[in-house]
Parts: sequence; structure tokens; C-alpha cells
Amino acid sequence: MTGLIILVTFIGLVIVSLAAITQKKLADSIILFMGVGLGSVVLFFIFKAPDVALTEAVIGAGISSLIFLMALKHLGEQK
Amino acid sequence: MSVKKISLKRELPTTTLSGFALSGLLVLTILNILLQNMPSKIQTAGDALLKLNATEGVANAVTTVVVFFRGFDTLGEIAVLFIASLGIGLMLHSNSKCNIKAESNFMLQTASKLLFPIILLFGTYVMIYGHLSPGGGFQGGVIIASGVLLLLISHKAFEVPHSVIVALETFAGVSYVLIGLIGLLVLDVFLGNFLPHDISQMGLLLSGGIIPLVYIIVGIKVGSEMSMIVQNLIQRDHDV
Repeated sequence: MTGLIILVTFIGLVIVSLAAITQKKLADSIILFMGVGLGSVVLFFIFKAPDVALTEAVIGAGISSLIFLMALKHLGEQK
Repeated sequence: MSVKKISLKRELPTTTLSGFALSGLLVLTILNILLQNMPSKIQTAGDALLKLNATEGVANAVTTVVVFFRGFDTLGEIAVLFIASLGIGLMLHSNSKCNIKAESNFMLQTASKLLFPIILLFGTYVMIYGHLSPGGGFQGGVIIASGVLLLLISHKAFEVPHSVIVALETFAGVSYVLIGLIGLLVLDVFLGNFLPHDISQMGLLLSGGIIPLVYIIVGIKVGSEMSMIVQNLIQRDHDV
């Protein structure tokens, strides 16, 4: 069961990453990047690294994506 | 058979050649070091640290490594975060207080009033229980900063006072170094664990000597720095 979860998460992670780098709109790309962070949280937790999982959830998927979105908003006004 | 003559009109510049030579030398040196230390020493580094973990009386082994065995590295990481915050403040801080924030949604305002105390409580919990459960100063500080971000987005007039941030950050930085220096005086080791850390107390909130103290200090520093970064970004965002 754990192996199945790992396999599904890993394949999903690869698909979401590929989707993130092929998006036309930058906002969609950032949202998918957040999804990559959440998938890696699941992987870290399964591989018994809850500290790293918490850090990734808070910093990787939370704050850094919000900072990207703020920067994107700032860039969009200048276009 | 005629041999085609290749004329070397453009010779390679000496700087490029010396760069290649230097890189090759570095690669060879690193390979040599790696090959010499490969079989036993690298593989048992983690195991040795895990065996030493029990002597500090801290339930979460990762916290012992981050705060105690690698405490000086953590001090450096905090310095790096401080420099990043300083750079963002230098580049983005504007004295003109004419930030035109858009009026946010009524739902967002009400929900943020309800959610902010809970986020603050959770961040403090993660920070204080860093030596017992997953988490710690970095994570708790960033959680608190995300709560501040929610308030900044939702409330037009909200602003973290600059003096509070300066006071918290100075207090945290100075007390981290002071704890390290007291350890140096008492035990002849920088960041030595000079408070009682009996192994029978493992799992209690008051255990592990200075390790929970240091992680709370790290949390205060990271929280204030991240709040300042977010506030500078938001104000700049609405300024232009």
C-alpha cells in the first residue's frame, strides 16, 4: 500500500512538474509549482522525514509561492 | 592523399587555459579526498551523531543535530536570513507613505480576524515543542509570518511597527550569541549545553538544557525577519 502511494505520488509529481514548466501563463505555473511542493511534502512524510516535510509545506509551498505571486503582480503592472 | 591543413588562427587565451587547469586540479583534489574517505568514515557520520543524541536528553534527534551539533551553522543561517531581509529592505523600502491598498473583501476581513490567533498559537506551539515533535524555530517563525501576511492582505491600515521588529530581532540575535558565550565560559565549548539535561527528563517540555531556548530564539528572529520581508514586498507592491 505504501509502495503504491509512493508510486502514484511520484508519477503525479513528474506530470505536475512537466505541466508547470510548459504553461503559457505564469500564474498557472506558480500554482502548479505549489502543487509540486505539496506532492513532495507527501513523499518526505512517507520517507520518515517529518521535519523536512513541515519545512517544505511552510516555506516551499506557502511563503515562497506567495512571494512569487506578489512579484508576478508587480511585474504585471509594468507590462 | 592530401592532408588538410587546419590553421590555428585563434589561439586559446591563457586565462581560459589556466581556468581549465585550475578546475581540473580542483576536481582531482575533491575526487582524491572522496576516494580516500569513502569506505567507512562518511557512512558512519550519521550513526555516530545519532548515538550521541541520547546524551542531550532531547526526544527529536533532528533538533539536536540542527541546534546543538550544528549550532554554529544555524547561527550562520540566521545571519544569511538577516542579510536577505536587509537587502530587501534596502531595495524595496520607500519613505513615501502613500500606499494605496485595495479595500479587501468583507469575508477575508472577518475570516482573518478569526484565523490570526489560531495561526499565532500554532506557530508558537511548533516553535516551543521543537525539541519534542517535528518542527522548530524556522517553521514556527515562518508560520507566524504567514499570519502577519494574512493580516497585511486583509486589513488596509495594518502595519507591523518597525520598532517592535527591531527590538525583537536585536533581542533574539544578542541572546543567541550570549548563550553561546556563556557555554564557552562554563564548558569551554561555544554553544555548550550548560543547563541541566538529564536523560531521565527526555520527553518533558523542560528538558534538553539550552536546546529549546535556542530554538525559541531562532523562531523569534525568523518570524520577525520574514514579517519584515513580507511587509516590504506588500507595501512596494501597492506603492507603484
